[in-house]
Amino acid sequence: MLNLIIIAINIILAVSLNLVVGFTGQFSIGHAGFMALGAYASAIMSLNFNAPFIVSLLVGAIVAGIGGIIIGIPTLRLRGDYLAIATLGLAEIIRGVITNIDYLGGAYGLMGIPQRTNWLWAFGCMLVTVLVIKNFIQSSHGRACISVRENEIAAEAMGINTTKYKVIAFTMGSFFAGIGGALLAHYITFIEPNAFNFLKSFDILVMVVLGGQGSLTGSVVAAIVLTLISTFLQSLAELRLIIYAIILILVMLFRPQGLLGTHELSFKLLQRKRGVSHGSHSADA
Amino acid sequence: MAAILQTHSLGISFGGLKAVQDLNLTLNEGDLVGLIGPNGAGKTTVFNLLTGIYLPTTGDIIFKGESIVGLKPYQIAAKGITRTFQNIRLFGELSVLENVLIARHLHVPYNMMHAIFRVGKFYQGEKEMRDEAYELLKIMNLAHKAEEKAKNLPYGEQRRLEIARALATHPSLLLLDEPAAGMNPRETTELMELIGFIRSKFNVTILLIEHDMHLVMNICEQIYVLDYGVNIAHGTPEEIKNNPRVIEAYLGEGA
Repeated sequence: MLNLIIIAINIILAVSLNLVVGFTGQFSIGHAGFMALGAYASAIMSLNFNAPFIVSLLVGAIVAGIGGIIIGIPTLRLRGDYLAIATLGLAEIIRGVITNIDYLGGAYGLMGIPQRTNWLWAFGCMLVTVLVIKNFIQSSHGRACISVRENEIAAEAMGINTTKYKVIAFTMGSFFAGIGGALLAHYITFIEPNAFNFLKSFDILVMVVLGGQGSLTGSVVAAIVLTLISTFLQSLAELRLIIYAIILILVMLFRPQGLLGTHELSFKLLQRKRGVSHGSHSADA
Repeated sequence: MAAILQTHSLGISFGGLKAVQDLNLTLNEGDLVGLIGPNGAGKTTVFNLLTGIYLPTTGDIIFKGESIVGLKPYQIAAKGITRTFQNIRLFGELSVLENVLIARHLHVPYNMMHAIFRVGKFYQGEKEMRDEAYELLKIMNLAHKAEEKAKNLPYGEQRRLEIARALATHPSLLLLDEPAAGMNPRETTELMELIGFIRSKFNVTILLIEHDMHLVMNICEQIYVLDYGVNIAHGTPEEIKNNPRVIEAYLGEGA
């Protein structure tokens, strides 16, 4: 059971980060910061206000989403590696601030959070996340985000308000990262600031890169595979990181676009693949 | 006829370099105007000024009666000025159809909530957008490549796709930056016909930068000549052909 819930949470995190990094092309590596906002906000709702779980979840998501807007508007002017460094730094600031607030348990974190995340909640939230992001991506607004990735100057010249769509993608990504954080907090019942450091951001980024930037199903597959691997390797703590690194290096060497590139796994794709292998040129028909 | 675009002593300097100075353009509705000049004369800079990529250091740009100086490129696009790029800037990884669809986003008939919850006008709106995009691709003779990745098209077709994409925003002023660059003579002739057809079909005013004199002289009614950022001549193709200053700028003194 443990694996399934963690897998679902990781899928939520990977898919939501892919919206920002893969589809909109904004290299953000501060996803754990928004997870932290969601985790803490929801934990406080449950612990101090006895809120029902759905309310805690939503408050966590909304707080993370607002954090996304506040951080996104100034930082999304930056490009490439500058944006990466800024988001990394701001995520660390979020962690630093939380560490210094006694109300949030400081460095000790919060304990005794009611365990409310079960398989149903995790799976339901995962489904909602994937569906919402898929529907968004496959719409005119999603295409606007993708155009920012493809060529910002051309997008702007075609009437796309690129700043707006960057902020929308970033906010949506943060919102769902908040849900992921909230689910995690109510599953392991204990959160501390250090659980949301840059290594956590990195874990999520690895899933996105491994699965393919710009492929939702790629993120799902990568989240499953990497969660399973890290569970199997749990007994080998240090070795886990080495194997992780080796996987990353190998993928970058042999498949730099990620397992699925920008493709989506679908029945249509499978059919097309089969058509090609049979030597038929159905595309020309 | 009413002027759709006017610039008043438009100029921009980069440091000490005056890339464009004191430019006074007037484009009337339905005009097809050429902007020519030797390499480095500042032609593309003029386009970048008109589309809001650069902020002019002097002067004003009046489009449909109001100043558009200081507006962001996407706001200018929404007002009705779109362009193609000299160094092609397509959305390379996306399909030909998607390239055009993105430019339709200015007129998207549904909002984000419709898209996320797949309700209301979403399916209808998406179908309308796709139909319109296909229509445009047909006109540009690209419909058979609709599902192809833009970056895999041959050069001439990429240029045509840039025009299709710019038209998808429903512009009233279309800026074409060297549309015939890299095309063979046959493609250039087809392009000339196409540009004329586009103007009447879509009711757009067209300003184009071009090095192919044959094309410019044949289809433009008015020509502006830039040299070192200065407008040295303006007139009909006949007048320009015989203007000594223009000949000098192109061929050097004594030619």
